[in-house]
Amino acid sequence: MTRREWLAMISAAPLVRAAGSPDAPAAPVSIVKCASYDEDITAKLGVMFDQLGGLEKLVRNKTVTIKLNMTGAPSLRVQGLAPALTHYTHPKLAGATAYHLGRAGARRIRFVESPWATAGPLEEVMLDSGWNPRALLSAATGVEFENTNALGKSRSYARFRVPGSAYMYPAYDLNRAFDQTDVFVSMAKLKNHETCGVTLSLKNCFGNLPASIYGDDSGVDEPNENPTTGREAVGHRGRRQPSKSAPQELDFGVNLDPGYRVPRIVADLVAARPIHLAIIDGVESIAGGEGPWIRGVRVVKPGVLVAGLNPVCADAVAAAVMGYNPRAVRGAPPFKTCDNTLALAEGHAIGTTDLRRIEVRGATIEQALYRYDV
Amino acid sequence: MGLTPLWSAAVPQPADWVPARWQWSDAKSLELLAGSPINCLLLKTYSADLEAGAAGRGLVTLAVLTPASDAVAEVRKALAAKLTGIVLEGDFPADVAAGVREAAGAAPVIEMTSRSRMKLGAGAPIVATYQGVWPGIALLESGHAKSGPTGSTWIDTNTGFIRAVRAWGDAQLWIGNQPPEHSVIASQRYLQVIADAAASGGRWVVTLDGDLAARLGKRDAGAMADWRRIGAMTAYFERHPEWRSMREFGQLAVVQDPAKGGLLSGGILDMLAVKHTPVRPVPRERLTPEALAGATMAVNVDADALTPEQKDVLRNFTRGGGMLLSGPPGWKDRSPEAGRITLDPAELERLNDIWRDVNSMVGHRDQGVRLFNVSSMLSNVLVSADGKTEVVHLVNYSDYPVENVTLHYLGDFKRATLMTPEGIEKPLEIYRTEEGWGVDIEKVQVCATIKLEQ
Repeated sequence: MTRREWLAMISAAPLVRAAGSPDAPAAPVSIVKCASYDEDITAKLGVMFDQLGGLEKLVRNKTVTIKLNMTGAPSLRVQGLAPALTHYTHPKLAGATAYHLGRAGARRIRFVESPWATAGPLEEVMLDSGWNPRALLSAATGVEFENTNALGKSRSYARFRVPGSAYMYPAYDLNRAFDQTDVFVSMAKLKNHETCGVTLSLKNCFGNLPASIYGDDSGVDEPNENPTTGREAVGHRGRRQPSKSAPQELDFGVNLDPGYRVPRIVADLVAARPIHLAIIDGVESIAGGEGPWIRGVRVVKPGVLVAGLNPVCADAVAAAVMGYNPRAVRGAPPFKTCDNTLALAEGHAIGTTDLRRIEVRGATIEQALYRYDV
Repeated sequence: MGLTPLWSAAVPQPADWVPARWQWSDAKSLELLAGSPINCLLLKTYSADLEAGAAGRGLVTLAVLTPASDAVAEVRKALAAKLTGIVLEGDFPADVAAGVREAAGAAPVIEMTSRSRMKLGAGAPIVATYQGVWPGIALLESGHAKSGPTGSTWIDTNTGFIRAVRAWGDAQLWIGNQPPEHSVIASQRYLQVIADAAASGGRWVVTLDGDLAARLGKRDAGAMADWRRIGAMTAYFERHPEWRSMREFGQLAVVQDPAKGGLLSGGILDMLAVKHTPVRPVPRERLTPEALAGATMAVNVDADALTPEQKDVLRNFTRGGGMLLSGPPGWKDRSPEAGRITLDPAELERLNDIWRDVNSMVGHRDQGVRLFNVSSMLSNVLVSADGKTEVVHLVNYSDYPVENVTLHYLGDFKRATLMTPEGIEKPLEIYRTEEGWGVDIEKVQVCATIKLEQ
C-alpha cells in the first residue's frame, strides 16, 4: 500500500466507538519536519505558531502552564541516552516554547510535571534528567516550575469537575497550578504507550494526577504529601480508591482492565482541565512503549513536530504521522489491548478524530509519515 | 611485608608503586612502558634479559607465587634473579607465608589474599586482594540494566570495599582481579576499572585480557591506542598523589564490621555510593569519638555486634546531638561465605529497610555535595585535612559520555576547576543556588574531577 492509499483509507475509516460526537470541534494542526534537536527549533516553532494563527491573542498578559512529559525516573534510560532523546520532551523544545510565549506577551510561564515518586522541586528532576533549568528561566521572563505531584507551593488542591457524563471519576483534585492558569499547554512526546497505544498530548495529562492523592502510597483519608511511588494501583488497576478527600471512582471494582481504565481517565481529565495548545515532540523518540521499562522499546527519529489548538485533532494527526488510524477500535493497532483515548475524548466533544475535517498546515501527513509499527 | 629499602634511590617507594601484571618476558616489551606511570611489574615468568631491562629503567619487579608452587624455592629463585620482591597471590597457609617472608629476608613480600584474609591495620604499606568485582552497570540476562534496592540503575563497583579498607589506615590497596573470561573487553571497560579503584583511593593491578595482550605484543595499532588510553587514565590519578591522602567527606558515618559485611561489595556502602550520598566508613573495631568527629549521622549496621564500650561511643554521639540509625530488628551483618565477595541477593533485598531510613534521615544540607544527572556514574567526595579543598571524582560506567552534569555544594568555595584524564583543566562558572552554589559540567567521558577551593 502506498502512502497515499494508506492515508485515503484511514481518512475514510468510520469511527466505531461507544460515545462518538459528530459535532466535536475541529481545528488546524501544524506539522514541521525537524531532523534533530540541533536544528533551529525556535524558528520552526515560530513557523508552527504562525500557521496556527499566532500566539499573541492566546497568551498576551496571561498565565500559561506547560505540562511536560517526564515520565519515569530520570535514572532510567534507553541505551544510556539522555531521556530527552528518547521518552521525555526535549528541553530545547520547552525553552523555545517559553521564548515564543514570552515574546507573545505571556505574563507568567509555569512548567509543571508530576515526576516519578517525588514531591521535591521539579528543577531537581530536570537537573537529574540533564536539563538546565537556568536556561529555561532565561528563555523568558516570569518562568516558574512546579512539581504537581503534591500541594507544591499551594495550600489546597483544586477540584476539576468532568462536564457531562464522566467515564471514571466525577471530578479530580489537582495541584493549583492547573487552576491558576489562563492557558494550558500539553507538551507531549510522539511515542507508543503500553497501556494506551499512543502517548500524545491527551495521554500526557494522565500525569496531571498528583501521586499524593492518586499514588500507590497516597493516604487513605488525606493526601500523602511525600509520595514515593507511581499511580498504578488507583489509576491503572483500580485496586484502591484515591484518598477520600478527593472524589471517588464512580463504579469502583467493576472494571479492572488498565486498557479500559486509563484511556477513560485521560479523556475525563482533558474534559475537566482543557488543553489550549498541544505540542508534540517527534524529533527523536522511542517506539514500542512509553519508557525504558517497557521491553522492546527502540529509539526512533521521526524528525517531526506537531502542534494544534485542539488536542484531539493534534493527536489524531500525530497518530496518523505514526502510521496509525486515529479512529481505530480496540484490537487494531495501536489500540491492541485498550480503548481509543482519542475517540473517548471525542466522545466528550473535545475535538474530532476525523482527519477529513482537520486542516493540516505546513508539511502534510504523507510527508511526515513515520511508521512506528514495523 | 618487609620494608628494608633494598632498591636504589631511583626506585619508587612502595606507596608509589603502580602495578601491572606483565604478560611478556622479553626486555623489548618494556618499551611499552615509555611514558606510562606503571612502575611495578608482577611477573609469573621472567628472564635475566627482562630483569636487567627493568632495573635499568628503575622498575620494581615482583615475582608472583601461587599456593600450588614450592614457595620457598620460588622465592630463592626470584631473589637470585634480582627481582625486587614477591607477591603471594592466593590464600597461602600461614606457615607457608611465614616461610616465604623468612626466605625473602629484607625483600618486600606483598600478600594478595582473599578479602576476608587481608591484614588490615597491620602496618604494611600495601594491602592487596585478588578478589574484586569487574565494575560496570549491572545487566539482567535480557541485557536490560538492573536496578538495585535504591531504584537506581545498579552499578557493580569496588568503591564501598575500597573505602572500608581505607578506613583502616594509610596502606595502599591493590585490587588484583582479572578481566572476566570469555568476554570481549572494550578499552572503555579498562578505563572504568582503573577509575573505579583510583577514585576511591585504590589501585587496580593493570591486567590485560589475552586478546589485548596478544595484539599489544604485535604492536597492533588499535591495541596500542587502547594501551595509551589505559596509561593516560592511570597517569591521571598518579599525577595527583594528594588525592590519596585526602579523607572521605561525609557527615554520615557507617559503622560496620569488616569481618562481616564490611568487606563485601554490593552492600550498604555501595548502595550509598549509587545514591551519591557522601559517607564515611568506620570499622567497628575503630569506633571511637574521634572517628565520629564532625559526623552528624551514623548508621550502625549490626547493633548486636558492638562491645559495651562501643555502645557507649554511640550513646555519647547521640547525646551530643548526633542522629543514630540502627539496622532493622533481627538484622545480622553476616560473615561472608568462603569465596563470596558480594552480598547475598536476599540480604540485598533487606538493605531496602536500611536504605529507606537512611534516605529519610539524610537531608540535603547534610550531604554537602549533591550531584544531578549522574545515574550511570559513581562519585567520591574527598576533603583535605585543612578543609580548604574538596575534590569530587566522577566515574561514568555507561558506554556513552554523559552530558549536562550538575553539582551543587555547600561551603565557602570560591574556585571550581574541572579536570579530566583527557587533559582538560579549566575553571568552572560558579552560580548561586537555593542552598549554596552550583557548577555545570558539560560532558564526562569516563572520568572527571571537580576541585573546589576556598
